Amino acid sequence: MTCDAPAPAAAPETTQWRSYGPKRRSTRALRVRTSAALVAATVLAVLLVPPLVQLDQQAVDLAAKLRPPSFQHPFGTDDVGRDLLLRCVYGLRVSLLVGVAAALTATVVGTAVGAAAGALGGWADRALMRVVDTFSSVPHLLLGIFIVAMFRPGVWPVVISVALTHWLSTARIVRAEVLSLRSRPYIDAAVSGGASRWRVAVRHLLPAVLPQAALAAVLMVPHAMWHESALSFLGLGLPTHTASLGTLIQTARGSLLAGQWWPTLFPGLFLIVPTLAIAGLAGAWRERIHPRHRSELML
Amino acid sequence: MLELRSITAGYTRNAPVVRDVSLTVAPGESVGLLGPSGCGKSTLARVAALLHRPDSGTLLLDGEPVRHWRHRAPRDRRTAFGVVFQQARLSADPRLPLTDLIAEPLRATGRGREVPDRIAQLAPVVGLTPDLLTRRPHEVSDGQLQRACLARALVLRPRLLVCDEMTAMLDASTAAALVAAVEDYRAATGAALLAVGHDRTLLERWCDRTVHWESLS
Amino acid sequence: MLSVRGLSVRFLMPGGRRVAAVTGARFDVAAGECLALIGESGCGKSVLASALLGLLPGNAQTAGSALLGDLDLLAADERTLARTVRGRLIGLVPQSPAAHLTPVRTVRSQLEETVAALTATRGRAALRAAAEAAAERAAFPASHLDRHPHELSGGLAQRAATALALVGGAPLLLADEPTTGLDRDLVDRTVDELRRHVDEPGPGNGTGRALLMITHDLAAAERIADRVAVMYAGRIVELADAAAFFGEPGPRHPYSRGLLQALPDRAFTPVPGMPPELGDLPDGCAFAARCDRATDTCAAPPPAGTVACHHPHVPEDARA
Repeated sequence: MTCDAPAPAAAPETTQWRSYGPKRRSTRALRVRTSAALVAATVLAVLLVPPLVQLDQQAVDLAAKLRPPSFQHPFGTDDVGRDLLLRCVYGLRVSLLVGVAAALTATVVGTAVGAAAGALGGWADRALMRVVDTFSSVPHLLLGIFIVAMFRPGVWPVVISVALTHWLSTARIVRAEVLSLRSRPYIDAAVSGGASRWRVAVRHLLPAVLPQAALAAVLMVPHAMWHESALSFLGLGLPTHTASLGTLIQTARGSLLAGQWWPTLFPGLFLIVPTLAIAGLAGAWRERIHPRHRSELML
Repeated sequence: MLELRSITAGYTRNAPVVRDVSLTVAPGESVGLLGPSGCGKSTLARVAALLHRPDSGTLLLDGEPVRHWRHRAPRDRRTAFGVVFQQARLSADPRLPLTDLIAEPLRATGRGREVPDRIAQLAPVVGLTPDLLTRRPHEVSDGQLQRACLARALVLRPRLLVCDEMTAMLDASTAAALVAAVEDYRAATGAALLAVGHDRTLLERWCDRTVHWESLS
Repeated sequence: MLSVRGLSVRFLMPGGRRVAAVTGARFDVAAGECLALIGESGCGKSVLASALLGLLPGNAQTAGSALLGDLDLLAADERTLARTVRGRLIGLVPQSPAAHLTPVRTVRSQLEETVAALTATRGRAALRAAAEAAAERAAFPASHLDRHPHELSGGLAQRAATALALVGGAPLLLADEPTTGLDRDLVDRTVDELRRHVDEPGPGNGTGRALLMITHDLAAAERIADRVAVMYAGRIVELADAAAFFGEPGPRHPYSRGLLQALPDRAFTPVPGMPPELGDLPDGCAFAARCDRATDTCAAPPPAGTVACHHPHVPEDARA
């Protein structure tokens, strides 16, 4: 009888706890999830649609040119009757490829230059930073146009053009970070512990700046996509038969004046939406690597 | 073993922080350098540990003048010194778990094989438990991190320890524990000590000899 | 003035772990009194201060009450805290004044801004006068008012920060490790000035301010505190009169005794072992594992009261 009175397993919690979590956390999570979903959708679309969908993006149908969005062509058709949804996906694929390739190149160059300048110091630092200043003093687009003009139109000249105009900011960020780290006592401790210059750079400095550099790289992808679009829009980037978001908008210019909005709107959206999604994800990531109150969180 | 002769040092060309300072540490001796904050004693400690090139003056290590500082100094000279700084938080690479933090000098000098043995010896000396060793700096308290920083300074068995305000940020008990660990090491190895600080009571209790910053130049 | 009852703070960590940073803190600070909260780094002192100011991070939860007058600081919303508490009811004397001051503006402009934000003073001349008066209260020299924080010595920066804390006429001063990194002379001067603000007739009814000083510097606490609260592993283990604590008959909790014996002018011997993790506290006394008086009884939670210990030192021990 008395047996079924269970012994209290743990002291009952009599304390009334009050939470402090700011209410905006929930919308933040939603924003991050939306961004992640959109980025995932973008990546899946450009990776899966071309091999899975057996449709030719170049299929011309002059009988159905400049049709507004319909069930058959959700985004409408362009001035030679090509399906715009398909063209947009292929365009996004090219633009994203250019963006990622250019951002990676720019980040590698920028990190190398910035780390070298910061870690070596002295005249090497001054010389490298003068090069950076010189490049920065020329307007990006102008320099980009100049570089593209030296090659035959194609994807790689655009990548090079965008990369060469975008490594500067990364170099500056990385150099500043290295300089601030270099004066930390833990570098002194490493030197005193017998670490070589190379070991200090590879073991202590570089890993500390990599999150920064990677963040800069991610943020640079949309930047590079816009740069590509700008070049293509000016007719200097990719040849018009290669669908990129820039070339799509460029060819649609004429029809916009005639009241046909869809050939401009949809490529534009394809440019803006991934940009915002990537920036949203990068922002969340930045909050993770630079939490303002890390020490408080950790007591 | 260490002699500083009329050292002048600083970070900008025309404003030396340390002016014409001389100080000697004999083998096995412990010297407390007492001075107010901001007087330049930390800079002198960095000069003494071959971490900062002075603008002028001579530094003699075992009677031989030192000509090179930081990376240019021969490795066995650099590693003759063990340094501990005031702010443990800034003295620890935030990415490295405490084990790696302590083992780093061994790995940097190509003695990675000794790591498990040395860690096993040193952890009890500085009072770190195995569970703490696997954590990263942001997961331990300032006191625990400073214990790891002391272990790192001892790992290469230095002949001279330079402790720059080692206990200034710590509570009394942790401070006493770290000083005891330093003294145990010195008793076992005969290493010398240069302890820099502003706490007269502490340095006079800790060191054989206490010198005042004002009396040095 | 400030009445804290059963104040607990815990953090919810990823993976469902709970870290009990402060457990059941209970103390009072009266007007004209200085209470020193002492303990080693990571024992929960600073979390307690953040809780009083409502500056806890989002993953924190609190329990209990902290009554300042009629206002429960723990239950107050952010708007109340920002508009009526910080600066007006509680003046914060920060840990590192150099980081607390805006580096790009002069001390004068920061004081004037604070005066304008916290008081009804308006107009250029009035603000200027009020700022100078505030500087004078904190013994900050008027000749240095037009300097930027980096042009000040550590002591002057600390006075500038104190001047800012005093502007709003707050009846309670909260000093979070005000002497970290300062040398002994400066520590003495800084805490003496804090004591002066406690003793001088306060802004309201002339009873003086209350000061809660959080510190690990026992010498600073000894110099100015009326009462001492010792914190260990998130709990206040001893609440004692400062004269009795530092002098005769001495502390009663074994941890407090160990802490005092670690001072270089006493035995200079550390308390053996290390404090437990706040995320993994034992059910009983958290100090038992390091305590030479521990018995089986210590597996049960220590008694509530001024000394949270099953076997406290009693004055007879001290005579024996």
